[in-house]
Amino acid sequence: MDPPIYYSKSEFIETDTGNKVSRRATIAGPQNIILGGKTVISSGAIIRGDLRRTGPGHAVVISLGRYCLVGEGCIMRPPYKTYRGNFNYYPMKIGDHVHIGANSVVEAATIGNHVEIGKNCVIGKFTIIKDCAKIADNTIIPPNTVIPALSLFSGSPGRYVGDLPESTMEVVEMGTKGWYKRFVAVEDR
Amino acid sequence: MPLTLQYHCSCLSSKPTPPPPHLPSSAYNFHPLHTLFFCEECDAVRCNHCVMVEVSGYYCPNCLFEVPSASVRAEKNRCARNCFLCPNCRNTLSVVPSDPPDTGDIRLSAIPVSAVGEPPFFLYCNHCRWDSAEVGITFEKPTGLAAQLQKFEDSAPESLEFERLKEHFEPFLRASSSSSPAHHPTASSHHVHTNPITAAASSAISRDVSGVAKYNPLARSRVGKDKSANKDEMPEYRSRVEIGSTSGLGGGGDVDVEFVKHLEDVSEVANLEQRWVNSWASSPRASDLKPLRIPLLSKKTKRCPTCRHILIKPEQKAQSVRYKIKLVAANYLPAIAVAVPQPSSTEVAKRSTVRSSGGGAEADKGPEGMLAGKTYPFHLSFTNPLYDPIQVRLSVQRAQYQASGEAPAPEKARRPPFAVSLPISAFPIAAFAEAWEYEDDEDMFGVEDDEMGDADVRSRDREGRSKTKTVGVLEKRANVTIVGGEVVIGKEAKGDVKFNMLVSYTYRSDDPGIDETEGTPSRTASKGPVMKTFSFYTVVDLGPIIPKEEPRPDPDL
Ligand SMILES: [Zn+2]
Ligand SMILES: [Zn+2]
Ligand SMILES: [Zn+2]
Ligand SMILES: [Zn+2]
Ligand SMILES: [Zn+2]
Repeated sequence: MDPPIYYSKSEFIETDTGNKVSRRATIAGPQNIILGGKTVISSGAIIRGDLRRTGPGHAVVISLGRYCLVGEGCIMRPPYKTYRGNFNYYPMKIGDHVHIGANSVVEAATIGNHVEIGKNCVIGKFTIIKDCAKIADNTIIPPNTVIPALSLFSGSPGRYVGDLPESTMEVVEMGTKGWYKRFVAVEDR
Repeated sequence: MPLTLQYHCSCLSSKPTPPPPHLPSSAYNFHPLHTLFFCEECDAVRCNHCVMVEVSGYYCPNCLFEVPSASVRAEKNRCARNCFLCPNCRNTLSVVPSDPPDTGDIRLSAIPVSAVGEPPFFLYCNHCRWDSAEVGITFEKPTGLAAQLQKFEDSAPESLEFERLKEHFEPFLRASSSSSPAHHPTASSHHVHTNPITAAASSAISRDVSGVAKYNPLARSRVGKDKSANKDEMPEYRSRVEIGSTSGLGGGGDVDVEFVKHLEDVSEVANLEQRWVNSWASSPRASDLKPLRIPLLSKKTKRCPTCRHILIKPEQKAQSVRYKIKLVAANYLPAIAVAVPQPSSTEVAKRSTVRSSGGGAEADKGPEGMLAGKTYPFHLSFTNPLYDPIQVRLSVQRAQYQASGEAPAPEKARRPPFAVSLPISAFPIAAFAEAWEYEDDEDMFGVEDDEMGDADVRSRDREGRSKTKTVGVLEKRANVTIVGGEVVIGKEAKGDVKFNMLVSYTYRSDDPGIDETEGTPSRTASKGPVMKTFSFYTVVDLGPIIPKEEPRPDPDL
């Protein structure tokens, strides 16, 4: 019964697989970015597919699964480090049914399936978020943090605050599918 | 204010009706549907307050190592690998060599890369920049740090004292557990099992506290006798360390006084949160905080408290989110959502929400509140999780605002601040089918479902609908039925529009033989499956009432 979320049809580019990408989002290095389908990139989001590993050839920098949402003003940037004197970027892999709230900055290494990240979060470099975890609004996750499956993290620095219900997977999946369905275009005049 | 609807769990209470919604205890009796379990054996809802919990596996939340339960005890429920928490901010610490990483860029070197440098090694927090060298903890090798730290922990005076206490009480505990009445068979047919955690907790709560008389309503006169019988069976305990000599270790005394006298900065004192995990007596100095080995987390098996059947059994692998057994209430009870239709037209809503497209500000907040003296419609949507259609009947729990047991006093008694109208007759919800999930066409199943309704019910339904359009079935699609209700807010009302609603649904049961109240077994057998009814309570919260004392009187009144 949740109300539809309307967007102006001319603002979004819709792909064959149902991805919807705002023209007001900055997609750098699009050839290095994979969107799984029915994934929405909101206006003002910045996705840095251009920050790729040095070396020849084609490389996937950021991949997102199905039914994901990158909220307004989010920054998605691959993690980097200097290992044995060599500076390099490392790929970021995000699973299915992952929603990232508005104005969050994500530099994670991997994010599993059915993960919810709130608004105004910072997900530090090389963070690993396992399936069905949840990051509350305004949480700061320091670099290299591991977030176990079905756990709720919150605060600055983000800490484990509790377990999520056993049916989190179903609840999140229903939420992300429902959200995509409610995200509908209105014709411009 | 978000509108909520939560489900009741009686938690084995002898009184199956929930408390009135305006009492604070109401909050503990109601839960979101997706947190509840369902025991098929007992045909009852269970919640996290009443299920029996058993640990089915331990793991470290940082390295995700699955710790065998045999080593959990020796390692004191903490990770024995290289996983540590910052004592200052609780971030995970990194192991760093003494030589700084040789990048010219300071900004990049803030995050240590790997521990392959020069000894000594120390633990570093990349959030608050605490490091263990500051408190004099360094390591010659970057491995086996936990064992080295545990050696410190185990030799700390409070830890030694605790070991001594355990030794002292062990013979007594062993003796008392063997004679515990917990194993006695109970005559009652309503058998209640107690798990070890609950038993430990209840014995801790009911233990004798010196100087506080134990409340025992049945055997008041016997208390004195029992006491003398049980006391002083144990030898007197002699502590390892006299409390007077713990000055400086958190035992208070002159050392702490001197410390506080010469305090220059609050951050020199470790705050309560930082000291909370330590024993009661710990140094007040921030500079005495030690890195903490990370506490383990556990996966849990949950059982029905009445019949002990397993409701939740996780897969063995710590990071798996799948379950071998998962009996959740959402697979048995209809999911109910509540909404208050927005007064604004769709066109206005479109224009106002179109700018905030794509996440961020979702406009699903409820109204600010309901004005006293006005009438509001509301919607309840029911989603059927069963593969068979169901019939649902609703009623509002009455007499919530009367003092219990007393006849309602005329007029002066607490008048209900609002009155709720719900559809009187039963309404159908179509069966769940996997295909619905991908179905976008909403009109396919908008037809009347003739299978279950009887003529009488339907005619009454029509009457109701002609009288007022807001109360009754509003929409049917797939396995969802939306009904409308109405709430009339009293002129003098205040508080919240919150009421308990009883939901009864009738479903087809494949369970043969045992019939409900109607029909002989032979008759039901000839008719095929049995119809059964399940009832549960919910609490509906439509938000706060905006009282009459508004600056401007409402012109509608
Ligand atoms: Zn319960
Ligand atoms: Zn049971
Ligand atoms: Zn660990
Ligand atoms: Zn720290
Ligand atoms: Zn049983």
